[in-house]
Amino acid sequence: MNKLRFPAFPLYYAALVLMLYLPIGVLFLFSINDGIAFSFPMKGVTDHWYRDMLKNAELMSALGNSALVAVTSSVAATALGAAAAIALTRFDFKGKAIFLAAALMPLLVPFLILGVALLILFAALDIDRSLVTVAIAHTVVSLPYTLLILMARLVGFDPKLEEAAQDLGATYPYTLRRIILPLIAPAMLAAWLVAFTVSFDEFVLASFLNKGEPTLPVYIFGQLRFANRFPQVVALAVLVMVLSITLFLISNWLQRIGSQAALEQRLGDGK
Amino acid sequence: MRTSKLRLKAGLLLLLLALIVALPGCAGATPAATEEATAAPTEEAAPKVCPGDGSEGKLTVLEWAYYEVLDMSADFCDAHPNVDVTFNFGASDEDIFAKTQAGSGEDVMHFYTPFLKFYVDEGLIQPLDTTKLTHWGEVPKKFQDLCTLDGKVYCVPWDWGYTSVLYRTDKIPEGVDSWAALTDEKYDGHVSMWDSGPGAVSIGSYIKGYDEANLTDDQLADIKQLWIDQRPLNAFYWTSEPELVEGFTTGDVWLAYAWNGAYYSLLSSGVPVAYANPKEGRNSWVGQYAISAKSENVDLALAFLDGKIAEKTATNLLTQYAYGHVNPAAYGAVTDESLIEALSLDDPTELDRTNFTVPITFDDFQKFVGMWAEVKAAP
Amino acid sequence: MSNRNSPVWVLMSPSALWLGVFFVAPLLLMAAYSLRPDMRGGLFALGWQPTLKQYQAVIEQGSYLWLLGISVGMAFMVALVATTLSYPLAYFLTFRVKASAPILLTVLILPFWTSYLLRIIAWKIILGSNGLINNLLVSSGLLHEPLALLLYSRQMVVVTLVYVWLPFVALPITAGLQRIDKSLLEAAAILGAAPWESFLRITLPLSLPGVIAGFFMVFIPTVGEYVTPLLVGGSAGSMYGNIIETFFGDGLNWPLGSALAFIMLIGVLALVGAVSRLVDLRRFVG
Repeated sequence: MNKLRFPAFPLYYAALVLMLYLPIGVLFLFSINDGIAFSFPMKGVTDHWYRDMLKNAELMSALGNSALVAVTSSVAATALGAAAAIALTRFDFKGKAIFLAAALMPLLVPFLILGVALLILFAALDIDRSLVTVAIAHTVVSLPYTLLILMARLVGFDPKLEEAAQDLGATYPYTLRRIILPLIAPAMLAAWLVAFTVSFDEFVLASFLNKGEPTLPVYIFGQLRFANRFPQVVALAVLVMVLSITLFLISNWLQRIGSQAALEQRLGDGK
Repeated sequence: MRTSKLRLKAGLLLLLLALIVALPGCAGATPAATEEATAAPTEEAAPKVCPGDGSEGKLTVLEWAYYEVLDMSADFCDAHPNVDVTFNFGASDEDIFAKTQAGSGEDVMHFYTPFLKFYVDEGLIQPLDTTKLTHWGEVPKKFQDLCTLDGKVYCVPWDWGYTSVLYRTDKIPEGVDSWAALTDEKYDGHVSMWDSGPGAVSIGSYIKGYDEANLTDDQLADIKQLWIDQRPLNAFYWTSEPELVEGFTTGDVWLAYAWNGAYYSLLSSGVPVAYANPKEGRNSWVGQYAISAKSENVDLALAFLDGKIAEKTATNLLTQYAYGHVNPAAYGAVTDESLIEALSLDDPTELDRTNFTVPITFDDFQKFVGMWAEVKAAP
Repeated sequence: MSNRNSPVWVLMSPSALWLGVFFVAPLLLMAAYSLRPDMRGGLFALGWQPTLKQYQAVIEQGSYLWLLGISVGMAFMVALVATTLSYPLAYFLTFRVKASAPILLTVLILPFWTSYLLRIIAWKIILGSNGLINNLLVSSGLLHEPLALLLYSRQMVVVTLVYVWLPFVALPITAGLQRIDKSLLEAAAILGAAPWESFLRITLPLSLPGVIAGFFMVFIPTVGEYVTPLLVGGSAGSMYGNIIETFFGDGLNWPLGSALAFIMLIGVLALVGAVSRLVDLRRFVG
């Protein structure tokens, strides 16, 4: 197979991973640091920040809120994005360019402005600010990402497959379900992942459009005023990280066990 | 094959999420040893503070994150345990003002000097009947005056602290005696100013000797130039105390405009710092609680404000959160040496030498903010 | 293509409606806001006279526009570097480790499930005067005094933003690379093309839609960045977004902030429009 081979590739990947995880390492050290301010060399080690953090009901509820908002908005953004991507890449209709411009425009608008604009809108419509309004805003800002990822994927697929299916008598919904969706499923997962990440750590919209129960970034930002509460917050960040990695490793391991045949097949025709 | 792998990954990602959402639930099951555990199960998950059944009435407060703990409303909840007090949060004074203006509808708001006038000018808060505040007499006059405009009392002062020049004694052994040190080239790259236009104008007027409450346009332009010239000496404009504390600890920052909270943190962790007594005088900021003009729970709100200035709440604020409180009755309870030092609790004349932040009009506020933006944008 | 329109409306209307109500409408409200003379009377005061005075103020105050230019330049730098650095990564993941690409990619994304704010603060600890790097340099004798230059500058903002965006950019590039028909590369090999030739003449051009998607995904939001400059930019590192944020946050001067925002919007739209003439973006729309 005609591809570039660089022994440096794996090294490059490893170097990047190292760079990405270095701050995480520092955060970890901060969370076990015996003291409020952090500097090298460290003064002492403690686990009481973790214990404090788990007892901190507000912190935990902020975490739950973030997860809720992120799941809802990312699912919505992926669904809306997939539908629009399919329509845009498979059909001709008036207003395509306009819609695309409008769909991508959230990327051009600083979240700050969108936040204020939506605040005005919701107040004018007399809708209370809440996690729901935050989720709505997050869907808007995630949509361009999901759309772009899915469109890039769909553009490459030969539409003849779908046309063939329909010539053979399949209805469009059937074609959608059995041919198009499975083919773009990996891209949908990628899009969902991006949307989730965008929402989970998002601060500006979550701050403007919420009332009462803060999401995690807003909570963290609020805690920045209290130097003595800060390490707990860092402890949580580290914990979420560790949880993600653990689950991820489990998923990886299960995949290895569960799909030997599939793996062999792919390696076979992938050279 | 591909689909089943995909389903597996998707399933596991969902599991991860379920775990994240469930984690708060696990934490809730652990017996919470501190009074910080608040939420009794209600449909609305907004933090509730008084541990009663909510039958005595309802009150909403627009607050800063973490001020909703029971400690900070101890006296009120003792007297009225069955009031349902819920908190909504703002991220800053500007945010709280914006939310109030937008009609977020809380009964009580907590903001800091110099915002008082905005609320009064826009008719957002109502004058208080101080005869209904049993502890009003315990509050020193200097603090009472800060809440008084045109002879009417509009708020109850609560938390306070100093602002002065904080500096590392090992890097600046000669000490600092003036606000002008912030503009001294000797400290190139090691100064940190607070990121605030009104704050910069206050300090600028101290340095230049102008009357902060009556600045002319020329004087404002002078102050602007002062800060533009200062910018290259400045490492960063700090927006939160941990940021500043970190800067001092790592040695990036040698001197800064700082609140006493940072001073206290650094003292407690052993970093060699001192809090200047500049010849122009320190500055002080005060937090204030006010009642919305549209509140339907005025009596409860007044009781809430009254509880804020009572002794138990005052003691909690001082000893547990290291913030100053206006009621001197609580000062005796403070044993932490660093805190006494930081707030000059043993020197009552310090307050007399202090310049309290003056209430300004909204127009002036916007002018000052614009000035600061121009300082940052200047080439 | 087909003429069956009904699926189109079913597919398009949810997102079209969503965008209309929750994006276009609020922006129109913002536009109205930028014509407002001041904030008197609170948010919903009616009966004010529309005026261009906010826009006038911005143009007169030349430093804001200068800062906008700087911010656009920085955003361009960030996007360029991030895309360039990310491309080999995406290539590696697509062609060298295809089976475990999703896994390796997710490993890169995982750090982003910790708080962005905190990760930046961690970098400050690493780069500060008493931080990791300086400690190593000083204790090993290479330096006598710590480098204060590592933090608080425009350069640092660019580096940090590249760091933040790098894995994200890998996603569309990877998606673009994955859809390249492998048989083309096989054909090239059979016809005797060297790996380099195949890459330059087949892979790279075909991967461009993904690359461009990635580039814009980084460039455009970065123009309006304000959090990173706040954290690592220092006093000299402000970007245009910080000014807007000042007026919406501290400043409570929404009319001026709205005007600034619209100026930026128009600028960026014009840029995107110009670039899309050079690169035919209609390729996305099929």
